[in-house]
Amino acid sequence: MLRKLMTTTLACALMAGPAIAYDLTEMSWDEIVDEAKAEGELTWYVWYFQPEFRQAVKPFEEQYGIIVNIPDVSSGDDALNKVLAEAGRETGDIDIIALGGQAGNRIDVEAVFLGPILPLLPEADRLSDEAEGVNWQGYGVKYWGNQTGMAYDANRVDPETLPQTLADLEAWIEANPYQLGFNYENGGSGPSFIHNVARNVLGITPDSVVDEVPDLVSVYDWFNSREDKFGITASNADSLTRLNSGEFLIVPAWEDMLFGLIRKNEVGDHIEFYIPEWGMNGGGNVIAIPKNAPRKAAALLFAAWLTSAETQTALNGVFGSAPANTAADDSNALVPNDQRANSRVWSAPLSDRDVVPGFIENVVQD
Amino acid sequence: MRNAIRIGLLLAPGVGLVLAFMGAVLYRAVAQAFGLYDFSGTSDGLSLAHWQDVLTTKRFWRAFQWSAYIAASSAVIAVALAYPIALWLRKPFRGSLILSAMLKAPLLVPGLVAAFLLVNVISYHGFVNEFLVWAGVWAEPRRMQNDSNGFAIIGLQVWKQMPFAFLLLSGAVQAIPDPVLNAAQDLGAGKFARFRKIILPLTTKAMQAALVLIFIGAAGDFSFQTVAGPPSVNSMASYMASLQGSEGDWNGAAVVAVMLMALSLFGAIGLTALVQLITRTLGRLA
Amino acid sequence: MRKSPFNTILSGLLIAVMTVWLAVPFGMALLWSLVDPSQAWSYPDILPPKLSFERWSLMWDSTSLPIAMFNSYSLAPMAGVGAVLLAMPTAYAFGRLEFKGKAVWQTLVLVPLIMPGFVTAIFFASLLFSMGFFARYPAILVGHVVMLLPYAVRILSVSFSLVRQDVVNAARDLGASPISVFRVAYLPVLKPGIFAAFLIVFILSIEEFALAFVVGSPDFTTIPTILYSYLGYNFIRPNAAVVALILVVPNVILMLILERLLQSANPAGISGKG
Repeated sequence: MLRKLMTTTLACALMAGPAIAYDLTEMSWDEIVDEAKAEGELTWYVWYFQPEFRQAVKPFEEQYGIIVNIPDVSSGDDALNKVLAEAGRETGDIDIIALGGQAGNRIDVEAVFLGPILPLLPEADRLSDEAEGVNWQGYGVKYWGNQTGMAYDANRVDPETLPQTLADLEAWIEANPYQLGFNYENGGSGPSFIHNVARNVLGITPDSVVDEVPDLVSVYDWFNSREDKFGITASNADSLTRLNSGEFLIVPAWEDMLFGLIRKNEVGDHIEFYIPEWGMNGGGNVIAIPKNAPRKAAALLFAAWLTSAETQTALNGVFGSAPANTAADDSNALVPNDQRANSRVWSAPLSDRDVVPGFIENVVQD
Repeated sequence: MRNAIRIGLLLAPGVGLVLAFMGAVLYRAVAQAFGLYDFSGTSDGLSLAHWQDVLTTKRFWRAFQWSAYIAASSAVIAVALAYPIALWLRKPFRGSLILSAMLKAPLLVPGLVAAFLLVNVISYHGFVNEFLVWAGVWAEPRRMQNDSNGFAIIGLQVWKQMPFAFLLLSGAVQAIPDPVLNAAQDLGAGKFARFRKIILPLTTKAMQAALVLIFIGAAGDFSFQTVAGPPSVNSMASYMASLQGSEGDWNGAAVVAVMLMALSLFGAIGLTALVQLITRTLGRLA
Repeated sequence: MRKSPFNTILSGLLIAVMTVWLAVPFGMALLWSLVDPSQAWSYPDILPPKLSFERWSLMWDSTSLPIAMFNSYSLAPMAGVGAVLLAMPTAYAFGRLEFKGKAVWQTLVLVPLIMPGFVTAIFFASLLFSMGFFARYPAILVGHVVMLLPYAVRILSVSFSLVRQDVVNAARDLGASPISVFRVAYLPVLKPGIFAAFLIVFILSIEEFALAFVVGSPDFTTIPTILYSYLGYNFIRPNAAVVALILVVPNVILMLILERLLQSANPAGISGKG
C-alpha cells in the first residue's frame, strides 16, 4: 500500500515538474504541429460563451486530435487574477487564455506571457497584436472584435425615433421615463454607455486631446438630475433579460452577446441593435500563452487555428463577432457597416477608468 | 495532569483544529487590514492607509448601513413571526404537525435557489405583478427588483431564517413544564401575566440566540444581495468580494471584513441587551 | 388533543397560503426550465410558446454541469466522513467527561458558525495564496470539514451522552476488549447520531457557496457556483431555472431522509428510558 502510494506521489511529482524544455521559436511549424499532437490536450481559459465555444472548437479537435478543455470561468477579472497569482508557479493550469484588450494595461506582458507569439503564427501578416487601443507587443494576438451599442424592443420602439445624439437621449428619457436601464459593473456595456454620455456631456469629440481628467461634476449632475428616470441593472445579461421581459425599452448591450442570445432564442428576435451617433465603445479580446503553460505547442497551434481566416469567418457566422483576420468574411452582423463609424475607443480621449469609478461613487451611491 | 493531557489529545482534532484554522483566518484578516501581506507589493508594513482608503468612500458606508439595516430588520421580523407560532403550536392539534413541517420547508431550499425563485416571481412581468395588475390593485407593474427599501431581501432572509428561530423557540417553549403554567393559572394569573412572568423569562435565552444567529447570518449575506438585491447598493460581503475579486485589493477587503465582524459583534451585543431590557421591564410591570 | 374550530380554521388557512407560497415559485421555475430553445419566451406572452425538455439535455451536454455535480457529490461525502471522524474524540470528551473549562470549549467550537462565510473564504484563500498552494479540490475539502465540524461535534456530543454507563460497565465486567465494548455498548447508540452528523455535513457541503466560490475562483465549479454564475454574471432565466431545479431536488430528498434519522435519533428512542 505504502509503496503504491509512494510511486503515485512520485509520478505526480514528475508530471507536475518543470514544463517540457523546448523552444517554440527554434522549431519549424511542422515540428510545432507534431509536438502539439503529442501533447494531445490543452486548456483554454475564456470567460464568456463557454458552452458555445465548446461546440465551436470541435473542428480543431477533429482536425488535430487535440482535446480542448474549456472550464467555466467566473469572470474576466477572476481569470486575470489567476494568471497573475500563479505567475510565480513553475507549471500553471492554463495553456492559453483569452483577455480583454485593456488587461494589457494592468500586466507586464513580457514577464507573464510567452512570446512574442505573433510572428510565429503562419497567418501573422493578417493579424494584429492591438486591441482596445492597447499594444500587446506580440505577446497577445487579437482574435475577437466586438461592439457595444443600444439594444431595443423593436415591437414597441419605432427605429425612426431612436435617440442618436445626447439631446435626443435627453428628450427620449423625458418622454419615456424608466424605460432605459444599464449596468455599471459585471460587464462593459453599461460602462461604455456611461463613458460615452460623459464624453458628450463634457464636449469631448473622438479627435480631441485630453491631457488631464476634467471636472466630472457636470456628468454626475446629468445623471443625478434624471436618476428616477432610468434603472440600474446588475450585469450585461441582466439588462438584456429585463429588456426581453418587457421591463425596459432600451438598454446598452454587446453586439456579439445579443447575437448569441437571439440565436439560441434566449432573447426574442424582436430585440434589435444599433450604434448611436453619440458613440459606443468597440472592444477587442486577445489570446496569450502564459510562460508557465504546461502545453505550449498545443496552445500555439490552437492560437493559429483560432485566428485563421477560416475560423474567424466561422466565428462571425456563429457569434456575429468582428473578425480579427483581414482575410476573413464579416458579412454576419446585427448592424449595417455605416454605423461602425460611431464606434469609439475605451482608452482615449478620456479613459473609461477615469469616469466609471467616479460615477459609482457620485451617482450610484448618491 | 495525565487527565489534562488526555483531554487535550481528545480535543485537538476537533476544537483544536477549528481554533487553529479560524485563528489563522482571523489573524490574516486583521493583519491584511493593517497593511501586512500586501500582494500588490507596493508597501509591506503596518499602516492605516487601507482604512483611510475604504472608510472615506460613500460606497463603504452605504454597504455598512445597508447590512446593518437588513440584518436588524430580518432578525426582529423573523423572531416576531416565529414566537407567536411557537407558542400557538406548543400543544399539538389537528394540522399542527403538517404546519410545523411546512414551516421548516425553507431549510430544504438553498439560499441561491430561494433568491432565484423570488426574483422570478417579483420580476417586472412576473407572477406577482401580472396578478396584481390583473386584479386591479396596481395600475401598472412595479420594479420590485430595484426596491431601495430592500423588502425583497428582508423577505428572503425572514423566509430562510424563520425556521431556525422557530426550532429554537419551540424547543424553549415546549420545555416549560405544564405544572408551572397550571400553578400560575390556579393562582389567578391571566394570559398576559403568565406570558410575561413565566413564558417570557424562560424563553429569553432562546430568543436572544435566535436574534443573534439571524443577525450575524444576514449581516454577512452575499447571495441574496447579489441575486435579488437592488444593484445600486452593496452588502458588506458583496463589497468585500468585489474589492478582492474585481480589483485584487486584498487589504481593502480585509478592512471591510474587520468592519463586518465588528458589526456582527456589536449587533449581537445590542440585540441581547435589548431583549434583556424588555424582559425586565415587562416583568416589573405590576 | 384539543379541538378548537379557531385552530383548525387558522391552520387550514395557513397551510393553504404556504402551499401557494411554495407552489407558485417552483411552478414558475419549472415553466421557465421547460421553455423550448427553438422559441423564445418574451414579453408580452403570458405563457411560453412551446414546452420541451430540450433545455435540460442542452444544459447537461454543453455546460460543465456534470463536472460540477461530480465535484459537489464527491466533496460532500468526504467532508461528511472527515468531519465525523475528527469530531468523535471531542464529542466523546464533551459527552462523557467532566473537565475544567468544558463550557468554554463547547462555545469555542461554534466559532465557524458565527464567522461570516465570506470572511472565512477570502482570508483562507489569502493564506493558500501566500503558501503557494494551488490545489483547489483539497483546499475546499479541508475548508468544508472545518467549517462544518461544529455540527458534527454538537450532534455526536449528544449521542455520546446517551450511552449508558451501566451497559459499558457490564460489557467491561464480562471481559470485553475495548473494541468490543465500543461495538456493543457505544455503536448501537451512536449510529443514528453518526448518520445524522454525516448527512447534515453532506447537505451543508453541497449547499456551501462562499468558500467554493472564492477558493475555487475562477474555474473550479460546484453546483452552487455554477448556479451563481447563471444567476449573476450570465443571468439567463431559463438556464438558471434548470440548474436551480437540479440543485434543489436531490437536496429535498436528502433532507427528508435526515428528518427521519433525527426522529429515530431522539433520546427516548435510543436510551430506552422513554
